[in-house]
Amino acid sequence: MPSGALLFQSIILGLLLGGLYALLAAGLTLYFGIMRVVMIAHSAFLILAAYLAWWSHARLGIDPLLSMIVTVPLFFGAGVLLQRMLLSRLRSATLTMMSVLLTFAIALIVEGLLGYAFTGTQRRIQLGYGSASFGLFGARIAVVKLIAFGLAVISLAVLYLLMKRTTFGWALRATIQHRDAARLVGIDTEKVAGYGFGIGLATAAIGGTALSLDTTIYPSLHWHWIGPLMAIIVVGGLGSVPGAAAAAILLGLMQSLLQIPMGTTWAQTIFYLALFATLAFRPQGFFGGRLAQRF
Amino acid sequence: MPNVSKRVLTGVGLVLLAAAAISFPSLAPNPYILSAGIVVVNYAVLATSWNFVGGFTGYISLGHGALAGLGGYATALLVTKAGLPSFVALAVAALLVAALAVPIGLAALRVRGASFVIVSIALVLILLLVFQSWASFTGGSRGLVVPRPFPGLLRPEHHRVFFYLFSGLLALALLAWWLIDRSRFGLGLKAIREDEDKAESLGTPTFAYKLIVFVVSAAFTALAGGLYALWFGDLDPVFQFSILTGSYLVLMALLGGVRNLFGPLAGALIVGIALEYFKGQFGNTPLHLVATGVLLGLVVMFMPDGVLPALGSLVQRFRKAEQGSIREVSASELLAQRKREEVRQ
Amino acid sequence: MRSSLRRTRWATALGATTILALGACSGDDGGSESADDPIVVGISLPLTGDFSEPGKGVQQGYQAWAKITNDKGGLLGRQIELKILDDQSNADRVVADYEQLIGSDKVDLVVGPFSTRLVVPAGRVAEEYGMLFVEPAGAAKEVFQQGFKNLFYAAPAVANDHYNHLAEYLLAMPAAERPKTAAYAAMDDPFAQGTAYGLKEKLEAGGIKTVVNEVYPPNTTDFGSIAAKIAASKADMIVGGSQYQDGVNLIVALQQLNYQPKLAAFSTAPTNPEFAEAIGNKTEGVLSPTGYSQDAPYPSNKEFVEKYKAAYGVEPEEDQANAYTTGQVVAAAVTAAGCAEQGDCQKKLAEWVHANTVETVVGPLSWDETGKPKGAHMIQQWVGGDIKIVLPAAVKEADFVYPKPAW
Repeated sequence: MPSGALLFQSIILGLLLGGLYALLAAGLTLYFGIMRVVMIAHSAFLILAAYLAWWSHARLGIDPLLSMIVTVPLFFGAGVLLQRMLLSRLRSATLTMMSVLLTFAIALIVEGLLGYAFTGTQRRIQLGYGSASFGLFGARIAVVKLIAFGLAVISLAVLYLLMKRTTFGWALRATIQHRDAARLVGIDTEKVAGYGFGIGLATAAIGGTALSLDTTIYPSLHWHWIGPLMAIIVVGGLGSVPGAAAAAILLGLMQSLLQIPMGTTWAQTIFYLALFATLAFRPQGFFGGRLAQRF
Repeated sequence: MPNVSKRVLTGVGLVLLAAAAISFPSLAPNPYILSAGIVVVNYAVLATSWNFVGGFTGYISLGHGALAGLGGYATALLVTKAGLPSFVALAVAALLVAALAVPIGLAALRVRGASFVIVSIALVLILLLVFQSWASFTGGSRGLVVPRPFPGLLRPEHHRVFFYLFSGLLALALLAWWLIDRSRFGLGLKAIREDEDKAESLGTPTFAYKLIVFVVSAAFTALAGGLYALWFGDLDPVFQFSILTGSYLVLMALLGGVRNLFGPLAGALIVGIALEYFKGQFGNTPLHLVATGVLLGLVVMFMPDGVLPALGSLVQRFRKAEQGSIREVSASELLAQRKREEVRQ
Repeated sequence: MRSSLRRTRWATALGATTILALGACSGDDGGSESADDPIVVGISLPLTGDFSEPGKGVQQGYQAWAKITNDKGGLLGRQIELKILDDQSNADRVVADYEQLIGSDKVDLVVGPFSTRLVVPAGRVAEEYGMLFVEPAGAAKEVFQQGFKNLFYAAPAVANDHYNHLAEYLLAMPAAERPKTAAYAAMDDPFAQGTAYGLKEKLEAGGIKTVVNEVYPPNTTDFGSIAAKIAASKADMIVGGSQYQDGVNLIVALQQLNYQPKLAAFSTAPTNPEFAEAIGNKTEGVLSPTGYSQDAPYPSNKEFVEKYKAAYGVEPEEDQANAYTTGQVVAAAVTAAGCAEQGDCQKKLAEWVHANTVETVVGPLSWDETGKPKGAHMIQQWVGGDIKIVLPAAVKEADFVYPKPAW
């Protein structure tokens, strides 16, 4: 029977991890909601952002968090371009399938370019406060994990405010709910979809920077993330950001707790088991509510 | 009779293809080219097996790598742990995987489009985790060695024998695809591809059909994976359960044309050669990944129906004379033209 | 529409036939046999992909060997030419590469790639073509259980024996000082696991209890939970079967939880030049097994370090040294047997290596009939901000630090 201290520590770790997952998965579910696109390249962009954060720290001496000032707008622009130039050109009949393959191709290209530019050497940001931690009722919380969690909370809060309180947010939600109806009401869905995509990729920039604080990065790392992230968005309900956040916290917690009896590898299977269970029992996802899509 | 000459031409084409397959080992200047040929034929079998699901029903599965890996490991485990002779193990493994495909299909085929793709990817990843962790049974990361089915053979001979085996398997897969294509079952599947809901409302038992074709596809994929295991000899979960391999299959089938019998085969040849070329050109840098990605992107954007239909329509344009605009054709000519088309079909 | 479909099918069949035929007609022949020809050595290395960093190190070692040998007049009077292919860290590719090198390019000699995962399939190709296969990096016991007769590992000891000296030292300590409990965390990789489990077996037999035994998949990046388990167990010592980054990540995770063991041993990671900075310079007392030391007094080592430094500006590390050793073994066999080509020559070379000892930069090497070397690795420790040999006592450069200061 694991000790209380170990359990508590695992719970803390699980929550911190879940927060990070929520940030990483938010963009992924957004793309799907806007355009029914499965953006496999999202995790490749996460790693790209992490590399940019590392590069700015290692070569320019800038704190990786400051790199977000450049990467967030850059990725936003890239997202808009991606949607306008490439994804909108796909035939709508086979949009989902083709988008999978297209974004897969983009992921390969990003991985190849990263490997070319930075070589396959594994990189880690050497931060002065990298191993600092503080105690909380007997558990230890690492500073970098807390910063990542903080970034997640802030970004998701901003996203929430954006979606609920601004005109653009309403337009975006309308486009997600029913594209044709939104057009009828006068919303320029093309433009809105483009900006929505940009926002999704901008969250990738923030997520990637958060990731870079406490992880080793290498070009093929994105394969490691795409599985859990996709499982999270399906469990949470495709297209629903709050659903993805809830599923992320839940699955992060379960992964952390299951590692105690089952070990790291078997604990990772929880994502896929949850995925299969969701598709078997409630294909529209558990947490999404009205916004979630079935397919 | 136009029909007979058409049949004769098709027959001649098939004979040529068979002749090429039979003579290739003798023409190959060294065992390396032969082994490269085996890899291409393996890809062709895998792509054709994928095309049962992808081409007929329109469901794009990125997870066929999982089925191939299962076939490989099942064969290997049956040979090493249960002591079955190699080819018996291969057949039993294919049956096992086909049986396993039933519950997998039941779970996966309930959803469509994006969710199906996600499930297929998840399948590969979870099997990768399982086969890596269950080291006591599968050898885990230490790998599993598959004993040679013909221990006395020298390596070049070994390659030769397996080239013929793979070609035979390819012929079998092509035959199965062709039979389904012509059958009522195939018609039902194509209806699913065009519009699943309408097909269902018209009375096609869509779920049953999808499941059956998925099981058939799984069986052939497992056969290919198992044969590869017998040929290659060393299994490692990281390389057997790979999303990248699964996506190469999709690229090949798409490139060649999913609605074509020989589409995946042509795609396998083109992509197989392209991969070797990329490796030769960009070998020491990861740019070969970029090149593959660009190829896939170009195919998706500009040739989603595949190379062969694109070529076909190119040929079509040169024969424009037969199909003039309405204004240039008189009524009797139109009637004669329609009669000709009817005969052809 | 059906008619055009049939047309395209027929066109495809014809096209496929043509391509197959063209493919069969391509491919080059081997070289000629004149004595002034260079000796071509074929190698497949992971220059891209997940093993690319150590792969590059091994490449540098091979290149250094070729250069230094050529400067001294070459081998059997002929210059050495390396033909290196990139296998992209992929087992299917490494087999295709060696098939190409042996069957198509008809190289004279082959030497091994990097990583146990790639060595076994590659070794099989070499074995089935009857080629000598000296390799710098396949050290897990599976490599030697395949029944290969031509394979030799060019380093002092296999993975399971890496920590032998440390095990001896620990079990020889008085019972009061000795660590009582141990935690093991190993990457699911035949080499990394081999080192950790080799030590585990010996320590368990000697009475040191195993309280945590974790295995993690390669490319794991989050070690929070594993570190939590280890910290909660309060084990006296931690043994990591690691490569580079996972070792660093685990140590950082343990630092974040303020876990302070009396002894910490990790394979590979502590010998990397960036290790100190990566863990915040808190390296004092961390142990690592190594097969190679730049200061080792073997005759060929001095020359190797000097010339390598002159050519590349830095001192050689273990990967480079392993590759250089491989070259030395092959060179010794070739010189003794007097031939360097495919065919019966390879058998002579293999027999010679089985029967003889070769002087290398890691000392005198000799092998058993499975190709396992009969030596032992040294144990290094970070002492005073620098990594030094502490075991075996005969070659030590510094005293063993125990218990380990806080990190």
